Amino acid sequence: MTRLVLPIVAGLVLGGIVHLVAVLILPYYAEQDAYARLSAIGSVNAVAQMDDPSAFGAVLPDTDPAFISAVCLYDLSDGPLKVRVPTSADYTSVSFYTRFGLAFYAINDRSAGRRVIELDLMNPTQKAAMPENADVTAADRLVVESPSDEGIVLIRALVRERSAREAVRAHMSAASCGPAS
Amino acid sequence: MRAFLFFLTLVVGAAVGLGLTWVTTVSGYGPGMIRSGPWEAWPKAGTEEADPYARAALARAGELPLELADGLAFVATKDDDGTALDGRCDIRLSGTLPQARFWTLTVTDSRGRLIDNAAGRTGFTSAEVVWNRDGTLDIELGPRARAGNWLPTGARERIELTLRLYDTPVGLASRTSDAPEMPSLVTQHCPWSKT
Repeated sequence: MTRLVLPIVAGLVLGGIVHLVAVLILPYYAEQDAYARLSAIGSVNAVAQMDDPSAFGAVLPDTDPAFISAVCLYDLSDGPLKVRVPTSADYTSVSFYTRFGLAFYAINDRSAGRRVIELDLMNPTQKAAMPENADVTAADRLVVESPSDEGIVLIRALVRERSAREAVRAHMSAASCGPAS
Repeated sequence: MRAFLFFLTLVVGAAVGLGLTWVTTVSGYGPGMIRSGPWEAWPKAGTEEADPYARAALARAGELPLELADGLAFVATKDDDGTALDGRCDIRLSGTLPQARFWTLTVTDSRGRLIDNAAGRTGFTSAEVVWNRDGTLDIELGPRARAGNWLPTGARERIELTLRLYDTPVGLASRTSDAPEMPSLVTQHCPWSKT
């Protein structure tokens, strides 16, 4: 019996290491992660409307059914992007995630303070290369710096009452996401 | 014999390592949880500082968390007494809600899918619900239609409630001791209980 003690203790230590490594690499190897699910419905650098969640599931699990959602998968390697989202009468938000689902920025209609949320999305190099003249650095221009070239923009609008659903959807279909110039 | 012991080490290592990983990512989003009554939330999961367990659990489920500046989701699978929420029973959610510009309440089955029902109602938004005169709220959950704010549960054996607060200062809470007061959940009557 005593001969089994050492292998079991060594096994437990090895198990701890396997566990730590597995947790750390899981986000990079998960096959059905959010990006993979969204790639099935949309293409890169374009807005795709997401179907409403139903009893059969949703494009992304645990999506709030009270919202109309759209998504833009982005790739900044060809240059910065411009994201324009018209705000609805109620709550509208734009959230940014990296390719591996890490949330790094969000803005809503009230913090944007305008009828249209308009953002420039760029990577750190592109932001550093931005000319420093007056019209570009104008205070009302929102620049979002993405830590990685690829990522996800999630566009969501609250539907206050169910009857307004189609009106909100039509309004949100004007959202765009594409090359800045 | 030595080959066997080496093999045993590997088997124990793999079983413990992968088992632990599965257990820690299959429910909840890791150690950054705050709790208020039966409600649980992971504010840090929706930020750049999300811990590895939150990242792994989200990637595994294929979810995108609510970014904390957008909102915060509280999930309840049990009532105040710690009994699992049963969709065959009448359950009452009552009390006050934390400060937020909007909130939504959603009822799902244990796998997070919406529950189909004739009323087409899967939740409430703060604008739809009827408030009590003193600013508190009563929502009745159950399989049969009831007066007031009724949320159908489709008589599912296990249900989950998600309360999402949008544009809220609550997200600043990072410990359970700072957690806001949440509404209570009480199982009132089950078909198999007397009277």
